[in-house]
Amino acid sequence: MRKSVLYILSLLIVLVMALSACGGASNTTESAAEPTAVAPAEESSAAEPTTAAPAATEKQVLNVWSFTNEIMTMAIAFEGMHPDVDVVYTMIPMTAGEYQTKLKASLGTADVPDVIALEASFVKEYVEADFLADLGQFLPDAEAGKTYPFVIDVGTDAGVTKAFAYQATPGALFYRRSLAKEYFGTDDPVEIQALLSDFDKFTAAAAIVKEKSGGNTYMVASSGDFQNPFFANREQPWIVDDTLIVDPMVVKYVETAKLFRDEGYEAQAAQWQEGWFAGMNDTLVDAAGNAKQVFSYFLPTWGLPYVLAPNAVSADGSHDTSGDWAVITGPLPYQWGGTWLGAMAESPNLDLAKEFIRFATLDEQNLTNWATGVYTNDYLKAIDPQVPADQQQAPGDFVSSQVVVEKITPSFDNSDLSAFLGGQNSYAGFAEAAPSVNAKLMTGSDDAIQRALNDPINQYLNGEIDEDAMWASWKDNLRIEFPDLIIP
Amino acid sequence: MVLENSEGAQSRSKALRPRRFKRNYYGYLFIAPFVIGFLIFGLYPVYNTLYLSFTDTTLLSSESNFIGLKNFERLFADNVFVTAVKNTWLLWILNFIPQIGVAMVLSVWFTSARLKVRGVGVWRAIFFLPNLLMPAAIAALFFSLFSFYGPVNQFMVRAGLLPEAMQFLQNATITRGLVVFIQWWMWFGSTIIILMAGMTSIPLSLYESAMVDGASGMHMFRRITLPLLKPILIYIFVTSLVGGMQMFDIPYLLTDGRGSPSGSIMTNNILMYLKFSSSKGHIGAASSVGVLVFIMTTVCALGIFYFLREKD
Repeated sequence: MRKSVLYILSLLIVLVMALSACGGASNTTESAAEPTAVAPAEESSAAEPTTAAPAATEKQVLNVWSFTNEIMTMAIAFEGMHPDVDVVYTMIPMTAGEYQTKLKASLGTADVPDVIALEASFVKEYVEADFLADLGQFLPDAEAGKTYPFVIDVGTDAGVTKAFAYQATPGALFYRRSLAKEYFGTDDPVEIQALLSDFDKFTAAAAIVKEKSGGNTYMVASSGDFQNPFFANREQPWIVDDTLIVDPMVVKYVETAKLFRDEGYEAQAAQWQEGWFAGMNDTLVDAAGNAKQVFSYFLPTWGLPYVLAPNAVSADGSHDTSGDWAVITGPLPYQWGGTWLGAMAESPNLDLAKEFIRFATLDEQNLTNWATGVYTNDYLKAIDPQVPADQQQAPGDFVSSQVVVEKITPSFDNSDLSAFLGGQNSYAGFAEAAPSVNAKLMTGSDDAIQRALNDPINQYLNGEIDEDAMWASWKDNLRIEFPDLIIP
Repeated sequence: MVLENSEGAQSRSKALRPRRFKRNYYGYLFIAPFVIGFLIFGLYPVYNTLYLSFTDTTLLSSESNFIGLKNFERLFADNVFVTAVKNTWLLWILNFIPQIGVAMVLSVWFTSARLKVRGVGVWRAIFFLPNLLMPAAIAALFFSLFSFYGPVNQFMVRAGLLPEAMQFLQNATITRGLVVFIQWWMWFGSTIIILMAGMTSIPLSLYESAMVDGASGMHMFRRITLPLLKPILIYIFVTSLVGGMQMFDIPYLLTDGRGSPSGSIMTNNILMYLKFSSSKGHIGAASSVGVLVFIMTTVCALGIFYFLREKD
């Protein structure tokens, strides 16, 4: 008798375990697709095939580290130009700062790579430190290609240029044409820009969208989307004279985000997560099963070819929003992200490392190929047959050389990308915005300071803590990471 | 060698002494690999951590200064460190009690001569399975399950259990509960295996004679199993404590790697890692956290040995 009870009990426990395991299995397939856009998943596994080759032919090995797999395309193109070189490419994601940590921990050890990719939010940290080699010898090349001045400013500290970028990254606002017609009676970019030309208007428009859609269309997927526009329009950098500066724009951002949450203007999706991507292809469904739509996304130059376009078709192919998008400057001009390349001063292959950076960031032919979709998977396979099937560079990334930009802009007039935007040539729009981007706000601490703010803001938006507690919690977080920072 | 030695034993003690020394010397040689490995990979890092904790060393600059106890003062200047210690203890205790409890009950059932549960090996393997999964995969799984647009919200709202979707991972209690559950779920199987190994080593004759004397199951557990299991229990206790004080992977990966929401699952090691991975890589400040955790864990482990020692 008792035995059977025990049996049933044990069986129950097993069942609970089995069920939670099942729930997991069905979910992993869904979520597996998501992270790819933030940190394209082909990391070391993708890099391995390239590692395998060298032993036989004694190629010169160049170690390159990055946080996405896009530079791998350049690395393979570089191998095509230099058959005697083997580029060993390592990708480490930076979703929660893993790349930055790994890189820091490798400094001064034998593991340090030759070339490192540096994202806008922490490039300054390295440019200001002593680990990168002087790349001043390439300044004439930069001048010849009319590299956007802010790209060079960011890579320069105390007159020494240590990093170059292949991208310039002005930001924009992408919106759905069909929804604009429905709620504002027009999908014309000029008229919509006039409607959304500052954040008060943007908020007012969000109210209209909510009202006319009966709450089924959100203005944005996440309030995190408009963090960059606010932060890019601060008066002062985060840290001045070792003191933390809380700019009025930061306060305004928090107010706006809170308003959007409380009024239901945002979908509460987390950036780079499931719901955020689902909004791009109209498959967003709330927990009760109601379909929801998202009116707009704040994304920069790279957001179009890397994020929006690849996610405009749902995984099952049933929903496709391609052609229904338009792009405008939005409420505030801003810039977001960008990848710089630097060579480690202690690299044993310094000349080769420098040559790789010159090729990747300043070589006009390479930049043209990069931006116009020459680097297809077939192109790369011809150089290295072991390239993964999804490794390629779609056309449309906005490059750092004004000469190249001017040369190739007309080629986008009738491209797939302009078809995606209902006929708009986004490249021309970005070309107008790029010269006005400046680097005066960028510091090496931006990444850490802004990351530290995320959780307190989410807690505040969710109503778990009040505003004072939010600021206090942020400052506690900052003290962990900046022992010497003066926090008012 | 043995032969040589017995020959030597017959000769005078003068000749004996160096031989004996030689034999001892071989012993040292045999343990040398471990001792050398321990000195390099065990003791030196401890020493170096202690040294770093008194400096302002960072990864991004080559110079560092001796700053005395400043790192430790800073740890106590605000309540972040104290909160991390409290969190770690809370998360460990809340998962350890059900872990040892469930493991104990199941082990008693599985080893019971009276119940003779069939398929013990299968049950044990099933309970142990979660331990084989990668913590990273488990954390990512629960993150997706409990996300705002995730299946748990869908299920609860559609079943009418929740009026509308909620941000589970923004709620401190729920997030802590998830960490506790995952830790329990991952580790009770491994505790079962150790406990069962201990229980099966207790001579069956003790139970048989107790049964002849009319002892109940509960009596046998309290008078035979528990006392004889003490060394095993101390082992589980101490290893779990050491592991618990270093809890890192699940809480780190479940949310944003900063112990969110509101630092509710910020453990000692997450704090240490945050200091280590901060903008400049403050390894000096990170070491000071490590040193305090080391001291705390050592004192507690010694305390466990002391209170559970054999009192003859």
